[in-house]
Amino acid sequence: MKITFKIWRQEGPNDKGGFQSYEVNDLTEDMSFLEALDHLNEILVLKNKKVVAFEYDCREGICGQCGVFINGRAHGPHDNMTTCQLHMRSFEDGATITVEPWRARSFPIIKDLIVNRSAFDRIIENGAFISAKTGTAPEANAILISKTVSDRAMDAAACIGCGACVATCKNSSAALFTSAKINHLNGLPQGAPEAHQRVLDMTAQMEKEGFGHCSFTGACEVECPEGISIVNIAEMNARFIKAKIFG
Amino acid sequence: MVLDAKIPEGKLEDKWRNYQIQSKLINPANKKKLSVIVVGSGLSGAGAAATLAELGYDIHCFCYQDSARRAHSVAAQGGINAAKNYQHDGDSIWRMFYDTLKGGDFRSREANTYRLAELSAPLIDHYTQQGVPFAREYGGTLVNRSFGGVQVQRTFYARGQTGQQLLLAAYSQLYKMVRSKKVTMHTRSEMMDLVVIDGKAKGIIVRDLITGELQRYVADAVVLATGGYSRVFRLSTLAIGCNGSAIWKAHKKGAYFAAPSFTQIHPTALPQSSEAQSKLTLMSESLRNDGRIWVPKKKDDTRVANDIPEDERDYYLERRYPSFGNLAPRDIASRAAKERIDAGHGVGRLKNAVYLDFKHAIERFGKQTIADRYGNLFTMYKKITGVDAYTKPMMISPAAHFSMGGLWVDYELMTTVSGLYAIGECNFSDHGANRLGANSLLQASVDGYFILPNTINNYLAQEIKSERPDIHHVEFDKAEQGVKDYVDRILSVDGTKTADHFHRELGKVMWNDCAMSRNKTGLEKAINQIEDIRRQFWSDVKVTGESKELNTELEKAYRLADFIELGILMCKDALQREESCGAHFREEYQTEDGEAVRVDDQFTFVSAWDYDEGNFALHKESLEFEFVQPTVRSYK
Amino acid sequence: MTLFFRKSIIAATGLFLCIFLIVHLSANCILLLPEDMARGMYNSYSTLLRESPLIKIVAYLLYLSIILHVVYALIVTIKNKRAKPVGYKVSNTKENSSWASQNMGLLGVFILIFIVVHLANFWARIKLGLGEEVGTDSVGNKDVYEVTSHLFHNIYYVLFYSLLMFPLGFHLYHGLKSAVKSLGFYHRKSLLIISKVSLIYAVIVSAMFGIIPFIVYFK
Repeated sequence: MKITFKIWRQEGPNDKGGFQSYEVNDLTEDMSFLEALDHLNEILVLKNKKVVAFEYDCREGICGQCGVFINGRAHGPHDNMTTCQLHMRSFEDGATITVEPWRARSFPIIKDLIVNRSAFDRIIENGAFISAKTGTAPEANAILISKTVSDRAMDAAACIGCGACVATCKNSSAALFTSAKINHLNGLPQGAPEAHQRVLDMTAQMEKEGFGHCSFTGACEVECPEGISIVNIAEMNARFIKAKIFG
Repeated sequence: MVLDAKIPEGKLEDKWRNYQIQSKLINPANKKKLSVIVVGSGLSGAGAAATLAELGYDIHCFCYQDSARRAHSVAAQGGINAAKNYQHDGDSIWRMFYDTLKGGDFRSREANTYRLAELSAPLIDHYTQQGVPFAREYGGTLVNRSFGGVQVQRTFYARGQTGQQLLLAAYSQLYKMVRSKKVTMHTRSEMMDLVVIDGKAKGIIVRDLITGELQRYVADAVVLATGGYSRVFRLSTLAIGCNGSAIWKAHKKGAYFAAPSFTQIHPTALPQSSEAQSKLTLMSESLRNDGRIWVPKKKDDTRVANDIPEDERDYYLERRYPSFGNLAPRDIASRAAKERIDAGHGVGRLKNAVYLDFKHAIERFGKQTIADRYGNLFTMYKKITGVDAYTKPMMISPAAHFSMGGLWVDYELMTTVSGLYAIGECNFSDHGANRLGANSLLQASVDGYFILPNTINNYLAQEIKSERPDIHHVEFDKAEQGVKDYVDRILSVDGTKTADHFHRELGKVMWNDCAMSRNKTGLEKAINQIEDIRRQFWSDVKVTGESKELNTELEKAYRLADFIELGILMCKDALQREESCGAHFREEYQTEDGEAVRVDDQFTFVSAWDYDEGNFALHKESLEFEFVQPTVRSYK
Repeated sequence: MTLFFRKSIIAATGLFLCIFLIVHLSANCILLLPEDMARGMYNSYSTLLRESPLIKIVAYLLYLSIILHVVYALIVTIKNKRAKPVGYKVSNTKENSSWASQNMGLLGVFILIFIVVHLANFWARIKLGLGEEVGTDSVGNKDVYEVTSHLFHNIYYVLFYSLLMFPLGFHLYHGLKSAVKSLGFYHRKSLLIISKVSLIYAVIVSAMFGIIPFIVYFK
């Protein structure tokens, strides 16, 4: 396959940055998109050029570290998929692929395609836990949890924290990410004692980090690799009201 | 040096309690004055960091990823074992202990393995409390499923994302302590060397992966929780960033490396499809609960799977191991697959795979039930291969996976360097020569949450009396200069081949001669080949960019340099062990029908290697079986 | 969380305006009747609206709603823009979301322009007495019917009033269904129904508002 990559290159956070085009000839359809970038980097090294900095780790769609904007969509042309799961068979031979970093004020660019998503960690830091210490747990079956409740918590808990929701949102809203975590923990009896404070603290931090408002465009749930539903955001809003009244 | 595992006195079931009773304690006011470095933020690292912080220690935790939540524990799919006996099927701590010991082919310590089983039940309680949404019955109780090498149902799971859910719980707990200012989290930070002062681990040199700056951190103890090293094979189920560098640096500073050749090849990964491939995706072993593994009876059969009639299929696991069938342990299932593939029955374009078929399970339970159990795995399979596994069998192939070997640790999880601990996959402790499925999350968690926080005090209690060294200590200077020289040396080679090129070469040698089956000639040849690769690497590698910047190519190269050295040690270890046990299969030691032959009278020991200026010296920790008699490991 | 507060204001005022549109539309339907019937009914209805104290309160609520809706939408838009200061070179939003949802602000601007013109045409003349004086009908009510009829015999106004119902329709479709979510309604099955109701509501309201000027024009 022959592919032209048009990639955003930016030396550092304060660099202006711009697009660079690279033509790569010997790709195969079996290659994953990231392997194609690996291949491009090997070519660059042999040409004595600096490699394109991009993120990855597990390359099986679960760690959430990879993520770039590919041809105008977070994680590429398919719905509910991570960048590492994307394969070159999804592109036509001879195509030009535009690759951009996640864009959001709260995700500043570190280099090339790598952004800083530590804002997510700080949202987690502010309440996305159950503050029971190691060693204090009661017998696991002592609290029965219906399958429905447990399954719904799991649906929300599946978030991999990749940031595609923020990247694709025209407002860079982190509502999907935040709501998924809130609904996971507040949906379970173990999370109940701190439920109200958790909603208030986490949403406050989300705002402090400079994320935008949720307009319910629904783009996030389409790009979310785990298919987390935007109904979670509505539920978070309800929990917020409840926390304001009873919290 | 005589290796003393410091196994406590008493009956097997009393040992851990006896240990805790006798170990030294530190009062809360003093804990505040003590600081601990934890390298790695996976289940063991995050668990240890959070728990130690809850106890009052001052913690610095490091990870190379952009967030602690990315650690590779996240990728474990199938589940976590615990001897809860919720299924009322005859499970007990003793049975779990025995299964694990037998699964490891009697090459681990009884006391450690028993403790693992003993602490498994409270661990499930802990995770449930932390909000892990484990699968539930309609009545609200927890569900279990079966896993390989075991005849009871003791595996707890959260869909196909158990590792992720456990890690998120650990990560949450870690960040709770970050908020309490008891943990300082250093992301995108890689440990480059260990600092040992007067024989005690006192700090580390860290490279900030964004700026490339080297930093010094000092503490009263150092805990390594850096995971496995199977990326030495290049193609593995591990994350691309997983590396053996931290433990390798520790090894070079005096920590013995135990059983490096004990690496597990997982039977159910997706087959390699091209040379450029960077990773082999794992499909959970849990699939073998309902999926049946087969190959065509006819060699080089070109028909598509669904066109091959039942009587022309060879369900070789069921044929060879009737009592465990498709749930034979991993080493055995992998080897059986390799045997069939080598005999010309492999399927797929490169003839390197076997079928994993759900046809019968779907006929029996319906598509919905199968989707409930494995839905996300089927979706993942489709995303990667483009094939719908509900209608066509999956194609799977063995892939390098877990490393049972690692830094040698005693019962307290301390390495041979005082004050240096190794927890989780990076140590050698509980799994022996082969790890059972769903025991990895368990070991990592138990080490981090329950064991280390109860053993580290025994060491720190003395350290409170001694002054913590300054970061300007000469040993820090030396270590930092060493790292700087090392990095500069890699950059200065300026050769003609990429780091990935050498990694592919190394991977090929390791996979051919030091993976599923090994022999003397092959291993000797491999050692020479790797020596060659090492020479070529240091004379011909090309890394662009600089050291003082974010440089992913440089990271690859310096991690690879350690892998090359580790590869040599792995081959030496495999060569030395003239027997077949667990995942270590020496072709010279097998029965007529291809089963492993253990040589107990000579090899009932843990090999522990000492590093000495490029040479490795073998030490042996003899394994005493006081409570269980090693038997021939049969799953027939 | 002021993020939530701002969106709630927009959502709540939006929902109120949706209800108002139904009332408004019902009045417009009088215009569909034959002229002699319609003139009397229409004029007396509008007199009733002008003079009822209850309606007066509702009217102030209405003005307030429009102002809050617009002001908060403006604030939210500015803040959102700040949250994403740099956009993408290539953006393929049509593959993951509806056009309306991505362009609520733009649609809102069209509607605002419409409201300004609409108020100038009617409210300014009838209520404020600006411009050409409005006559009275046979029973002494202000002849609002005449004003309407006159306006809608100008084809440019007819086109203006009709075409601007397209942005209204899109705005209502996305606005209604997302307003309930912004306000914390999260029952999954009902939300599916609400989504359909939004579509039906948006089509009916905008189509009816859009057709009536033509009917008057051809009457």
